[in-house]
Amino acid sequence: MEQHSATTVLPHGHKPDAAVKEIWKVTGILTVLTLVELGLGFWMMGMQDETTKHFIKGAIIILMLAKAFYIVGYFMHLKHEIRNLIMTICIPLILFAWFIIAFLYEGNSYNNLKNKYNGYYKEHSSQHMEKKEEPKPAETKKPGAKD
Amino acid sequence: MSNETILQSTIGVTIPSEIDNHEEHVHHHHESFITKYVFSQDHKMIGKQFLITGMFWAVLGGLMSVLFRLQLGYPDSTFPWLEDIIGKWGKGGHISPEAYYALVTTHGTVLVFFVLTAGLSGTFANLLIPLQVGARDMASPFMNMLSYWFFFTASVIMLSSVFVETGPFSGGWTAYPPLSALGSASPGSKTGMDLWIIAMALFVVSSLLGGLNYIVTILNMRTKGMTMTRLPLTIWALFFTAVLGVLSFPVLLSGFILLIFDRNFGTSFYLSDIYVNGVGALPNEGGSAILFQHLFWFLGHPEVYIILLPAMGMVSEILSTNSRKPIFGYMAMVGSLFAIAILAFLVWAHHMFVTGLNPFLGSIFVLLTLLIAVPSAIKVFNWLTTLWRGNIRFTPAMLFAIGFVSLFISGGLTGIWLGNSALDIHLHDTYFVIAHFHIVMGVASMFGMFAGIYHWFPKMYGKYLNNNLGYIHFWLTMIGAYLIFWPMHYEGLAGMPRRYYDIGAWESFKQFADLNRFISTVAMIVFAVQLLFLFNFFYSIFKGRKLTTKNPWNSTTLEWTTPINPGHGNWVGEIPEVHRWAYDYGKDGHDFIQQTTPIGEDESIH
Amino acid sequence: MATTTAITPVKYWSGGKSPFNVEYGKLMMWYFLMSDAFTFGAFLIAYGTTRFATNGWPNPNEVFSSYPFKPEGSSPAPLIFVSIMTFILIISSVTMVLAVHAGHNMDKKGVVRNLILTILGGLAFLSCQAWEWTHLFHEGAWWGRNPFPNADGTLSTTNFTNFFFTITGFHGFHVFSGVVINIVMLLMTLGNKFEQRGHYLMIEKAGLYWHFVDLVWVFVFTCFYLV
Repeated sequence: MEQHSATTVLPHGHKPDAAVKEIWKVTGILTVLTLVELGLGFWMMGMQDETTKHFIKGAIIILMLAKAFYIVGYFMHLKHEIRNLIMTICIPLILFAWFIIAFLYEGNSYNNLKNKYNGYYKEHSSQHMEKKEEPKPAETKKPGAKD
Repeated sequence: MSNETILQSTIGVTIPSEIDNHEEHVHHHHESFITKYVFSQDHKMIGKQFLITGMFWAVLGGLMSVLFRLQLGYPDSTFPWLEDIIGKWGKGGHISPEAYYALVTTHGTVLVFFVLTAGLSGTFANLLIPLQVGARDMASPFMNMLSYWFFFTASVIMLSSVFVETGPFSGGWTAYPPLSALGSASPGSKTGMDLWIIAMALFVVSSLLGGLNYIVTILNMRTKGMTMTRLPLTIWALFFTAVLGVLSFPVLLSGFILLIFDRNFGTSFYLSDIYVNGVGALPNEGGSAILFQHLFWFLGHPEVYIILLPAMGMVSEILSTNSRKPIFGYMAMVGSLFAIAILAFLVWAHHMFVTGLNPFLGSIFVLLTLLIAVPSAIKVFNWLTTLWRGNIRFTPAMLFAIGFVSLFISGGLTGIWLGNSALDIHLHDTYFVIAHFHIVMGVASMFGMFAGIYHWFPKMYGKYLNNNLGYIHFWLTMIGAYLIFWPMHYEGLAGMPRRYYDIGAWESFKQFADLNRFISTVAMIVFAVQLLFLFNFFYSIFKGRKLTTKNPWNSTTLEWTTPINPGHGNWVGEIPEVHRWAYDYGKDGHDFIQQTTPIGEDESIH
Repeated sequence: MATTTAITPVKYWSGGKSPFNVEYGKLMMWYFLMSDAFTFGAFLIAYGTTRFATNGWPNPNEVFSSYPFKPEGSSPAPLIFVSIMTFILIISSVTMVLAVHAGHNMDKKGVVRNLILTILGGLAFLSCQAWEWTHLFHEGAWWGRNPFPNADGTLSTTNFTNFFFTITGFHGFHVFSGVVINIVMLLMTLGNKFEQRGHYLMIEKAGLYWHFVDLVWVFVFTCFYLV
């Protein structure tokens, strides 16, 4: 990567055709990734097994990060910038790791505390909720619904 | 030199726009009063604007602390003049509970954000970055100007909140919901909180505009030869400060936006299961007030380093200059600044050990928090070893710098206590915490700021500050600061809670009545001493002793190579090239060698 | 003296030039986007935290299951409309890259054509969002109101809609400002501003902003509609 960035320090370093070709290639990749995401989304709908669902969600998140990589790397041109710039952009983003882990862990822990010590909370959140509108015939076939 | 030709060819797109910028400054001589003093785009003038606005706020914030110390020190006395100046808030010569909480809140907000963030890093980042890296001005002078005026607008709005009928926000500077989210929760939670949150949002914008400018100027606009490792430590510190601000203030902004929705649009991000006296049970379900605390402290903790780092940087510079010795362990200093900046983002929940935070998560936060002791200790030892066997000149700036080191040690050590979640069960929300953060962050950073003002006043105004007044200012402030905050440790260890209106309501804390009175008295004296400094400052601007030399402190850095009163653009003619690092003091028999001096042939290697 | 510059053959850090080989405006835009990433990051993390701190959550496939002119009584169509929105934004990103690329080649015509397409894409996305918001509003959803029960039929809190409207609203605001920026860029291009300057670097910065908006949508799309 270093060698690559050292030679293409300037946007002009590209051959015009190659650059346009790359744009369309990345467009293709993004489209495919989105389609795969949607496919996984549809597959997940009727699913009852929570474990598999979690794995699919994990896969979707990995695909999301891949899409982010292609957008930042190619559309925002970061991959063709010199290494110094890539580093100053990417390194601070590592801070998100602890940001996310600590917040979500704490959210989960807070929920467990409430379920354990707040009887009202548990009772309230297990009440059945009526949907406001009267159910249309089609809606009974809704995938992934309560039953 | 052969490298130069290679470099020229790789620069490519970067040059044209920068040249545009510079030429604009050089030809920028016809300035009206408005463009020179009001909507100035000169970084030096913007720095002064930040400084003077900051000083205004410091006086106001300090005055507020005097008023509420009056209540804490003399709860049984009446002061009829209070009613004259604050009206219904001081009915019968007593500060009302509402006024007390409003004063505490505004004091905190103003000192933390408006004085020690904008007033400190706003002033010195603006003044020093272009001068010390060798640039004509900031990367974007226009955005720099906007940064000040956003700050100014925020100031006006915050100030106006003091005058609304229901009073300013009074739920503490941390603005925790539900007090901040429900207008019905307290008088200050109504219009006062609306104005508070608008002012703070504008403040975030200001700090973002400023911070982006500082970072880009330091990275992109260094003069030829000014490698990153030749930068003075002030610049490194201001750089990390700006990075902290740019990455953490947006999180606060997000927290505020959610808060605005909770206040005005019926959402429940932070609200759940609430009963308000006189209103009844609220329908809000499902939110969590703790979420706001997490978002707030994700900024809040970096914020204390935003306050502290510029002071550290300036102190490093001033200690080295006035010890006539190179700074000890330059790379270790940079490394420890970096380590502090990283750790600043990882430790926020140590402010929340007793909120019901998951204990396992808490233990990790303890570990990360205690890690901060390592870079902090590195810095302290490096400052001490810089002083060690130095040829010390006790200028007022130097005294304040040494005072900073003293305060940083005393306040930092109690941080190790508070960083332990087990000890925090006892110490949280007591005067121990007040003592800790006032010494290590509040007073220490004020000392850094004073050191910076005494040291760079000649660069700002071409005059000296009066030294004798400076010495009086230093000694009384130094002794006073310790007399105010040291006893609070004992009160806190005894369990005396902070934020309470009348401590005497508890039998167990009645023993502290005399001590509280003593603290309040010293606080008033110290506040009066600051007025002496103000007099010195404004008197010296007009009548101070004039500078006769460009380099009054025999310093090595670039700002002292500019004319005594530099115009917009800083250097006449070309920007000097840099050949060495910023700390060549006492080298090869020379007292100091400026950064612009080329390396001599038989010079020893550093 | 220790210098980090000695390592690389090209002395990017030696001063007098940008260590990143970019002009200051582009660098500033990058760092602004970093900052903005933390704004959105904080929103999405707050959303995640709240979701983790709540028993049950509405099923997005039940909530977002309509599209404009959907025949009355037809079966619900989850993910269809939002995937169209996603593609609109991706395509507008592509036209933006093409505009930036045309700018590099000083191809004014190309810049104008692609900018117009990008603006149209942005407006199309905003219209889709406006429709979706209106649709949800008519179903009874708004800030502080959530008609949708949890996926398991239990009582939900309003935070599902609270976060949805806040975050997509904040994103929509970014799209809107991006459209405004692009319109300004278009007018400047048509006024030959960049031809006179000799470079189209402004377009590049506007492009960075626009791609960032697309990038954020990738995350919003995943967090609200898929998982």
